[in-house]
Amino acid sequence: MTDNKSQRYPALYKRLFSVWYRHMRVYSQNIFSNAFPPFFEPLIFLAGIGLGLGNYIEPINGQPYIEFLAIGLLVTSSMWTAFFECTFGTFIRLEFHKVYDGMLAAPITANDLIIGEILWAGSKGFFFAFAVLATLSIVSLFPGAGLSIPLPNALAAPFIGFINALMFASLALLITSFVKTITHFNFFMTGLISPMFFFSGVVFPVDNLPKAIQPIAEMVPLTHSVRILRCICDETLSVNLLWDAGYIVVFTLVMSLLAIGRLKKRLIK
Amino acid sequence: MENLSFDVFSNSCFGFLGPNGAGKTTLMKMIYGRCRRTVNADGMMDIFGYDPAGNELSIKYLCGVVPQEDNLDEELNVIQNLKLFARFYDVPAPEAIQRIEALLEFLELAEKRTSLIRELSGGMKRRLVIARALLNQPKLLILDEPTTGLDPQVRHLIWDKLRQLKNQGTTLLLTTHYMEEAFQLCDRLMIMHKGQNIMQGGPKELLKEHIESYVLELTDADASEEFLKRPLPSDIRKDSAGQTVRFYSNEIDSLKTVADNILTGQYYLRQSTLEDVFLKATGRMLNDRQ
Repeated sequence: MTDNKSQRYPALYKRLFSVWYRHMRVYSQNIFSNAFPPFFEPLIFLAGIGLGLGNYIEPINGQPYIEFLAIGLLVTSSMWTAFFECTFGTFIRLEFHKVYDGMLAAPITANDLIIGEILWAGSKGFFFAFAVLATLSIVSLFPGAGLSIPLPNALAAPFIGFINALMFASLALLITSFVKTITHFNFFMTGLISPMFFFSGVVFPVDNLPKAIQPIAEMVPLTHSVRILRCICDETLSVNLLWDAGYIVVFTLVMSLLAIGRLKKRLIK
Repeated sequence: MENLSFDVFSNSCFGFLGPNGAGKTTLMKMIYGRCRRTVNADGMMDIFGYDPAGNELSIKYLCGVVPQEDNLDEELNVIQNLKLFARFYDVPAPEAIQRIEALLEFLELAEKRTSLIRELSGGMKRRLVIARALLNQPKLLILDEPTTGLDPQVRHLIWDKLRQLKNQGTTLLLTTHYMEEAFQLCDRLMIMHKGQNIMQGGPKELLKEHIESYVLELTDADASEEFLKRPLPSDIRKDSAGQTVRFYSNEIDSLKTVADNILTGQYYLRQSTLEDVFLKATGRMLNDRQ
């Protein structure tokens, strides 16, 4: 006695959207406290560099250090938020708040749920990069700040942030699929993400690293998204960027497929 | 899980009873695709014509699920929780609002519409989870221990609502540890143990077929040692567990005669209940999941 009503379960794009919307809705419920960090944090960096540290650092390839760092921060903001969202955030939804138990009772598959999760992290990456860009642009309006943001090219930042966040979200979900205790994320935060912040061309150019270490910098994901944004901002696009773009696409696909495969086993016993 | 077979008629309530670890929740989760069964030639599931192995979404669209643990979004209030969930079913917004209002009314939560989840009592949260499960007007409502931990007033209210739903045409699947609940709500029951079907039937039928009508309970076995050594009439069955000894018989007069000989006066003569059937079927010993 098959009923026609059942054929009306929502289409794939609607299912993905409803997962995304759930996260957006819960996030925006506390929009002021949630959006405070990406708008405010860049100011700490700018103050620290502009008022103090910057005086000791030579311009990099003719670019004032404060500007060099600013471009890097546009990308790292999306890394941090996506990685947090899909490690601690996902783990809490999975194990503590049992949010997925509720969602998976609705017409949503485990695949929909995981892909929706990655897309949401991507959107957060977009928003965070945008927030940092907004703050930096406003600061650059003050002549005394000594900061100039290469607009309109820098408007690419939120889009790079989106892509970068997809990449880190899929990596984070794969890690989450292995983690049994929430404190184990510390290994990855301190052991993987923090070093990436320093050695991926955000704080100083990768070229300045010892030749032996440079290949390691090429192997980690952040290096590639930072390089693409720098090239867009400096208008130094070249064919070499295809390597970076290819890396990002392959890394994201491989990580997300592995993450989906493993997390699904955790969601559906 | 093996040797399990059951049919649920539409507009009826089917209950699963069994000790923790019997596989009740797993069975429920198999129905809506949250647990996978080993797909082989012998195993078959048909839910409104669909098999969860291939038509998970169709089944979920027709079902409402009340899981064992409440999992509401704590950041949102009552009405926001329901609106958010209606989106998963792609219910158009005006229609969703109408349904939400009706459900809040039905489950007597209308006054709590803008309360935060943490301000709700256990019973209100439970009713809200039930309301959420009803958002898509399910043909099948799956309830995993719907009233565990609730006070009697709320429990009776929920029973009343579930009966109304059944009368309106919803099929109910229920797991519970409360025999009274199973007796009150279910048209048919299955008692499960270690993933197997032990017995199946209507509650009254099970009572009639599997247990004597009356029980005499003696709660202080040590003090009545002398009495317990005496031979019993043939129409009485004895069952000891710890300090409690139970005598079962279809003849209340036989049990009264026995009771007269209990010098301590520490006894209780009553009609047998589903709980007696349950304990007889699943044993009194605890397993490693209890």
